[in-house]
This record gives sequence, C-alpha cells and structure tokens, in this order.
Amino acid sequence: MIKEIGHASFMRRIAINVGAGYVPGLNAVIKGAALSADQMGWQIVGIRDGFDGLLHPERYPDGGLVTLSPELIENLDPSGGGFLGQSGRVDPFHVRRVNEDEMVEEVDMSDELLAAFRREQLGALISVVGGRGLSILYKLHRKGLHTVCVPRSIENDIAATAVSFGFNSALSFTIEMLDRARQAAQAARKIGVVEVLGGESGWVALQAAIAVCADAVLIPEIPCDLKLVASRLKDKVSLRRPYGLVVVAEGARFLDAAKAQVKPSSLKASLSPLATGDASDHVIQRSGQAAETVANGLQLLLAQETYPLVLGPWVRGGTPTAVDRQLGLGYGAGAVRALKAGKSGTMVAFVPPDMKFVPLADAINKVRTVPADSEFMQIASSLGICLGKEM
Amino acid sequence: MSSPVNPSAPTGIVLNIQRYCSHDGPGIRTTVFLKGCSLRCKWCANPESIAPKPELSYDSKKCTGKEECGVCLKPPFPEGAFFVPDGADDDKVKVNWHLAADCDEKLASLCPTGALEMFGKRMTVDEVLDEVEKDSSFYRNSGGGMTLSGGECLLQPDFSAALLEGAHKRGFNTAIETACNVPWRFVEKVLPHVDTMLHDHKMTIPERHKKWVGVDNKRILENFKKAYETFPDVDFIARTPLIPGINADEEHIRAVLAFIRPHKNVIDYELLPYHRFGLGKYELLGEVYELDDYKTPSDDLVKHLQAIIDEAFGRTPAATTGEATQPA
Repeated sequence: MIKEIGHASFMRRIAINVGAGYVPGLNAVIKGAALSADQMGWQIVGIRDGFDGLLHPERYPDGGLVTLSPELIENLDPSGGGFLGQSGRVDPFHVRRVNEDEMVEEVDMSDELLAAFRREQLGALISVVGGRGLSILYKLHRKGLHTVCVPRSIENDIAATAVSFGFNSALSFTIEMLDRARQAAQAARKIGVVEVLGGESGWVALQAAIAVCADAVLIPEIPCDLKLVASRLKDKVSLRRPYGLVVVAEGARFLDAAKAQVKPSSLKASLSPLATGDASDHVIQRSGQAAETVANGLQLLLAQETYPLVLGPWVRGGTPTAVDRQLGLGYGAGAVRALKAGKSGTMVAFVPPDMKFVPLADAINKVRTVPADSEFMQIASSLGICLGKEM
Repeated sequence: MSSPVNPSAPTGIVLNIQRYCSHDGPGIRTTVFLKGCSLRCKWCANPESIAPKPELSYDSKKCTGKEECGVCLKPPFPEGAFFVPDGADDDKVKVNWHLAADCDEKLASLCPTGALEMFGKRMTVDEVLDEVEKDSSFYRNSGGGMTLSGGECLLQPDFSAALLEGAHKRGFNTAIETACNVPWRFVEKVLPHVDTMLHDHKMTIPERHKKWVGVDNKRILENFKKAYETFPDVDFIARTPLIPGINADEEHIRAVLAFIRPHKNVIDYELLPYHRFGLGKYELLGEVYELDDYKTPSDDLVKHLQAIIDEAFGRTPAATTGEATQPA
C-alpha cells in the first residue's frame, strides 16, 4: 500500500534516522538526503539513536533532534559513520523501560512516537534500516507514519534492490583479507578455510571468492557436498602448489548435514531444547561454526592440514568505498525524491540504471539470494572454483 | 498476620502447571508457573514467561506447509505476518515476528496443526487448584505441595495470594520462587500464605545487577530483609543461578552468606548451575538469546563454592546443588 501524501508544501520539515548496526556509507545517505532536501527548500532534522531522540529528548543535553543545516552538512564527512548515533533496539512497539515501580517492562510507544512527529511538525521520515527495520517501518506506516526507507544491508540480501550501500565496502575488505589468508596458507602449506558474511545469501562469499580465485566457495544457496570439495582440492593441491583457499559463507549448508556437523560438545548438547542431549536446529549458529565444520570435515578427507579463519565483525566497520559513497548519496537523494513524488510507504531500490520506489509490503519477508542461473555462478564455474556440487 | 485476598481478581495468567517436581521446595510438588516478570536476566531459561500476557509461539516442526495448509497466509491473519520465502527448500511458513506479535489466542486456534500456539492462558483459582489436587496423595506422603514460580509470581499478587490461601485450605504445603523485584505491598499480600520462600540473590554489586538483570538490587535486598524480619515463621531458602564470568565467584557467595546468615529463618542457600536449556525457546518466540557466549560452570567450581556454603551452615560438604524446575 503506497500512500500518496499530496503536495510537496505539506513536507516542509522532514526527519531522518538510522537503524541498529554500522554500515559504511551511513553519513553519505544522510548527506544525500540533507542536500537534496535543501534543494527543495525543506528543513530536515536527524533523530538521534534510532527513535530515542524523539521518544526520550530529555536524555540529550542539546535535544534529541539535530537540524541538518547546510552549514553542518557541508562539513559532514561522507566517509565517516555514526553521526546520528544508533540504538540497539529500534522498535517503538517494544520499548524496554523501568517503570515507576522499578520493574522492567516492554511497552508499545508507537502512539507516543506518532504524537512526537506531530508535535515536532515532522511531515515524514526517511529511515535507513535493514531487513527487520523494514518490517517495523511498514507497521508504523500502517499506523499513519509517512515514511520512505533506505535499505541497508552489508550482505546485500534485501530483496528488490540490486545493491545496498555498504556491500561494496564489505566486499572490498573481504577480498583484501582473503588475499592475506591465501598468502598465509601458501606460507604455511595448508588449506585455509575462511568464513565470511552471509547468513542467508552468498553474495559476499561468491563475489569475493571470484575476485581472489579461491579453490572453492560454499554459499547458503547451494547445499554442498564436502566429499566433492575434497576431491576438487586433491586435484588442485600438489607438491608444487601445497596450499588451498576455501571461502565459506556463515550460513553455508551441507548435503549430508548429520555427518558434516561439528560433533556437539557437551556444552553444545546442553543447548538442545528439553535437554534431549543432541544439538538441534534451535541452536543459534555462532560465528565461526561454518568454517569449523568445513575445516574439520575436509581434514578427515585430505592429506593436507586445514585450519579455520573467521572474518566476522572485522568486516562490519571501516570507511566506505567510492561506490558506497555514491550509492549512499544516491539513496539519500532518492528518498527525498520519493517523498516529493508522494510515495510514502516505499523503499528506495537501486535497479540499474534507475532508482525506483518499491512498496514496503513487497520488500519485507524476502531475502535476495544468489539465483541458480546467476552470471556470478557461471563465472565461478568458468574459473574452476568449486561451488560444492557438480554444476 | 493474614491479608485479605482481593475477590475481584480470581483469575491469573498461567504459563504451565508441572507435576512431580522435586527441587522447588520440600517433598514432591506441583509447580505452577505464572506469566510476567519484572527483570530481564540475560541468562533467562524461561523467555516465554517474561511477557505478562499470553503470546504467540511457532513450532516449525508442526507446520505442514503452504500447499497442504496455508491457513495463516490468508485473512484474518495480519498481512505479511506469515510467509513462505522464495526459493526455500520446503513450503513451511516463516513468521515475521514484528507483524505477528498482535496475534491472539483466537487467531492461533485457527492453525490446524498446532504449529501456532499461545504461551500462557487465563485460569481461575479453582481451575489451578483442581489440577494441583490431582497429586495430593504424593504431597501427603512426601511433605510436598504447591510451588508458585514464574516469571515472577509476585507480579500477580492477588491471584497468587488466592492460590496459596486456597492450597492451604486444601491442606497443601505452599512455596514460592521469587526474585522479589516488586513493591513491598505485593510481598506483604502473598507471604502470609507461604510456608517456604525460595528467593534469588543474583548479584551483589548494584551496578552489575543492573547490567545483567535490568535494574539494581537495592529494593530487592530491602524486600528480602523486611521479609526475613516480618515473617519469622516462613522458611527462606536463598538461591543463586551460577554463571561463570558473571557471579560464579567466592566474593558473591560470601557476600550473600553475610547477608542471610544473621537471619535464622534463612535455612539454606542453594546454587543453581547455569544451563542453557531455555535457548531453544527463544527461537520459538522469535527472540535473540543475549548470553550466547557464556559457558556452564565446571563441577570443580560448583563444588568449591558449595563447600563455602556448607561451612557457613556448619555441615559436612556434599554435592547439594539445587536444580530448579523449568516449565516444559
């Protein structure tokens, strides 16, 4: 449901906020939106720490809103991040607080939030959010909030947009680290198994593996056969090339899951609901588990020594690349354009060569996975990179 | 000293009634878990007990999928609350917890396979007591009875008081498990009907208590002290959920002992070694378990700390650690 919010004069004052978690390029989005709003003659304010600046202005000595004046924006470094701050929980429907009886509770403050928008005469909100945030904003939109969302996913797994800002920075850094991992594996004459971002989609793993010409890449979209991977590694690893590099997305899956799983430790066994003694699918998959599973599995099948490495949170920081700066500025400006066009309840989507506005209802509950017929899959195959199954 | 029970609150939100419990007070007991908690312990093993109202849960193992069923994908279920992802291996439903949170018992009951269920239901005092009474012969032979647990059973003071008073009238021993982070007027209403109070000393240092539990422990300790002094006939048993890196150290154990030992009606201090059985329940509720990286305490550590307690209580060291019942 897209709400037409009418004439642009309604929108003299708008707000922007940022959901939980850092992604390179956040400041570029803010700058893009602010410059674009200024061109329109609109005033734009930033809400500190998600919605906290509006819901709890008393917590901020200089108020919970920051007027993004042209002077301030002029000096805002698009390579930086965290200018508006972030909140760990950006969900006005479940705000945790300590009540007057000193008891902890979660309360629905969505009505107070909408009232605060009216009180501050904010006509609409640009919200820079990830997958969970899109659902929250969709719910707020259904309650009457005029909003346009900017998708933010370092793993590039938000459906409807071809590239999220931040992804290119993560990919670039992952490639740099994989190059180092390869050199280390070469020097140690071992097979390095490197876990990279990608719980539900394999874009980072696949594109990074192509860039470094890894021996194998295992992504969530293709349940992998470790025996096949081992067989391909045997073909490639030799006395003259006594090392290997396997890239594993953290959500990689295995054809023979029971055998491929790391044998549960007594601790892991205790994670099982109802204490059945077996680790179950309710166990939270922790960072490093995919690399450990693959390294241990290959260890049994190969003569060479394997070892796991985990990039994990290292990738979730840093300065944005040139691509992400441009994308961030473009997304920010696109969001203002959407509001000007009266397209509330949408998400800005980059569908090359255009920026489009997709209804939030069509953007939620979907994950952008790597299609089986993706060009990237074919490139990987052409380069001799094993994808974990016969292609 | 007995407080009148509010007759206008004859019902409460019950999470579960568990029979044949042996660690929640003397003898064989039936433990009644009430919903609602005033703390947010990061190690909580019963996340389904936290919200003070019935809430939706989803068990994917029971879902038969879109083709065979698909009931929740259509009205009256909220748009977008349930969905089948593109490219999934099967057509089982997934839950968007942000949009499904408002689903009530009526909606959940439409799920023909029982994959959607509500944690918790409203019950009357008599309904609960009739269930508890089924094991009355065990109570008589073992000295057991009924224990109220949670959540925080003191958050429903009128209902709890009515249940406990009713249990006494039926001849059952009564006990409660509480963290006592409630106003004193709640404690005062319930304790006259209690034979044994099992109470948590989670952390000694107020700042640490706030960090891990959500509030500091000033009011809690005040309530404990006042309870020890106001209700001399109640047996108090102190407890600590033992978590390495958080409170599994001598400093905490000795601080608790210093707090409780001056009070003769605090008859024991039990250690509850941290386990993670509750972790799977977080997924059923769409929650994130915040204490994922912490480990269970080693046997040696538990024995060492238990020995300190045994020495303080003047008894021979023995492996007497507690093991509180969790709702199934």
